[in-house]
Amino acid sequence: MGSRRNNLLILGLVALMLAATVYVIFIRQPVQQATRLGLDLKGGVAVQLKGYHTNGQPVTRDEMQQAVQVIQRRINSLGVTEPEVQIQGQNQVSVQIPGLTNERQAVKVIGKTAQLGFYPVKDFAAQQSVPKDQVKKVESTLQKKLKGSSAYKKGKTKILFEEDPSLSGSGVDVTGYVVPDQPSITGKALKPNGAKVDFDQANKRVVTLQLTSEGGKKMSQLTQKMLTQSQMSGKPPLLAIVLDNDVISAPQVQSVLAQNIQISNDSLPQGLPENEAKQLQVVLNAGALPVNMKVLSVEQVGPTLGADSLRSGLTAALAGFALVLVFLVVIYRVLGLIADLALLIYAFLLWGIVVAVPITMTLPGIAGIVLSIGVAADANIVIFERIKEEVRRGKSSRTAIQLGYEKGFRAILDGNVTTLITAFILFALSTAQVKGFAFMLAVGVVLSMFTAVVVTRALLGLLAGRRVRLTPPMMGVSRKNVQERGSAVGAK
Amino acid sequence: MFERTVQRIDFVGRWKVWFAISGILLLAGVVSIGLGRLNLGIDFEGGAKFTVSGATHRLSTGEIRNQVLPNYAARGAVIQPAGKNGYQIQTPVLSQKQIQQVKNDIKQKLGGEVSVTSVSPTFGGQVQTQALQAMGAAFLIIILFISFRFEFAFALAAILALFHDLLMTVGFYAIVGREVSLITVVAVLTILGYSLYDTIIIFDRIRENAPTVGYNRRRFDQTINTSIRQVIRRSIYTSLSTVIPVAALLIFGESTLSDFAFALLVGIISGTYSSIFIASPTLSLYKAWRGGKLRQAASSS
Repeated sequence: MGSRRNNLLILGLVALMLAATVYVIFIRQPVQQATRLGLDLKGGVAVQLKGYHTNGQPVTRDEMQQAVQVIQRRINSLGVTEPEVQIQGQNQVSVQIPGLTNERQAVKVIGKTAQLGFYPVKDFAAQQSVPKDQVKKVESTLQKKLKGSSAYKKGKTKILFEEDPSLSGSGVDVTGYVVPDQPSITGKALKPNGAKVDFDQANKRVVTLQLTSEGGKKMSQLTQKMLTQSQMSGKPPLLAIVLDNDVISAPQVQSVLAQNIQISNDSLPQGLPENEAKQLQVVLNAGALPVNMKVLSVEQVGPTLGADSLRSGLTAALAGFALVLVFLVVIYRVLGLIADLALLIYAFLLWGIVVAVPITMTLPGIAGIVLSIGVAADANIVIFERIKEEVRRGKSSRTAIQLGYEKGFRAILDGNVTTLITAFILFALSTAQVKGFAFMLAVGVVLSMFTAVVVTRALLGLLAGRRVRLTPPMMGVSRKNVQERGSAVGAK
Repeated sequence: MFERTVQRIDFVGRWKVWFAISGILLLAGVVSIGLGRLNLGIDFEGGAKFTVSGATHRLSTGEIRNQVLPNYAARGAVIQPAGKNGYQIQTPVLSQKQIQQVKNDIKQKLGGEVSVTSVSPTFGGQVQTQALQAMGAAFLIIILFISFRFEFAFALAAILALFHDLLMTVGFYAIVGREVSLITVVAVLTILGYSLYDTIIIFDRIRENAPTVGYNRRRFDQTINTSIRQVIRRSIYTSLSTVIPVAALLIFGESTLSDFAFALLVGIISGTYSSIFIASPTLSLYKAWRGGKLRQAASSS
């Protein structure tokens, strides 16, 4: 019997797939490590950023790729495991850092453009011990004052600010500097990995910058010029070290500088704060981003919340799954048992796919799986109702099964195609959360077509062929209905 | 019992009753939306959301607003208890610095673990546009697909049913005041696909039962009724088999999952109803209207 051989072939294939799944989930690695969990289930920080140019020019793919590399380097130097940095759409980057709880630090490290620049200061004005909530107001007064200075020339110079904790201990010292529009020396002059956290003679924390030999040459030319000019004008020669339009330090140049520059903070007893120094080192060494980054969204999930979500998600999924299994048996008896078997195979294979690809499991992903269990059961219901209908019409169980599959398949295919269409559209929505759901749904629908239609058919075919007589009650049709033969047939 | 009831219902002829039932519910939803009761979450409007889990101090929502949150966050904050020993606090847009501050304050006063999500208004706008685009694309492709597999009349009826389900779900969200998030949109789009599945199964049967010769209103309506009677059990079972796991999500799942499940639950029930009581009568009415027009055209020439 040819069809019997086909059925055996199919079941053999299923057995192979199951074996492969067992290997992938249980043998390749300990089962606890098999499934890759998303941030929402194990905790961590996810940041979505958008690249842009200040002059409004469009961001190119190349620049985004460079940006991704820089961000990757920066995160790696934070010392966290398995960060994921991906370009999304035209100009967005999604960054996922598992296990991190301090989202503010992450955002600071990731989003900083880190454009380093050295500027000779042309003029400056300062106000000491400004209360924190007055900083903005003071800055605008200083700005007004500096714009009146003879050193300020609109278009050729700009005004940058420095904020430092006050020496007196209360408030902030705010200083405004008039500097040329373009820096004399940029971050390109920095040696690879040339930034380092260090301590000076007074044991204050500083960040030392090592410049390339060419950078050093430029630096000595610049400082030489500044010293000469200062002698003529009588103003102190200040060198502003600027990161992304914030003056981080503006030391007075005492002598000609060369390849070694120091960023220090004289107002604090311990020098630069530890966090700040570390961040400086990270962003300077990883290089500047080719574009500016705007933070679109930040998600930070604590480990407890993640574990709670995972537990409630799994409980919900398993409870739902178990109830569907019971439901099918109650309504379809033997047929239901077969469908249950197919559903169990389905769930197990789906887990295998999740591990093998690997797909990162998220909460929406769990929702997608649960929904796909419903859809998989639907396919069986469509076919079984058809079979019951044929049985009521007095067909033998074998013919009924055959007709049920033939006629049911068309509707299932149409229905699943529409679900796939929505899944693809959702995937195009491109937000990571949604993608997870859409992908799970699509994989689930395709796989369920196989288990719910092909596998159950092979199982039933084998059962019906093996002289096991399926009586109508075994399929959930009462004998009375079979005799009636009237009502349900109607149009035929 | 079930069988006999189904036999007695005239699905096509009593369309006014079915449309009226839906109409009342839809109207309630539309009025709620009109009253501004649709609660768009931070995904669309931007803002920050703090989730406290395992809080060691129990405070009322009023106490949290007045004693825990600083002024700038308390204004417009939505505070809800979540699970046991948990809270969810949603505020308007805050800077990263402010977020850190609020987070520390919450941690100090409530204890436990504080997770935070913040969304900028630009991103919210982008999400909103994308959601609408996706919805538009879904409608268009679905019309094309059904027109191709069936005929335009079927596509029209199916789309009407889809609009019905969509409006019903959004309306229900407005009525109960649940927060609409990105996940809700995903659920709604999924409902579109699902509701269609149901409709297609009925249409597939109508197509199978419909005689190939000519169109006759009485005969066609009868075919629809018969077809529905043949598949209604299946329709209800398939809905149940999906409602069961979704209900489990609603009961056992927290936050994201229960939001998702709620939208799906409303959508699936509405979808099952609309496939039988909205899409099928619409198909009959449209066919009759077309038939009438054709006959008019024939007699006038």
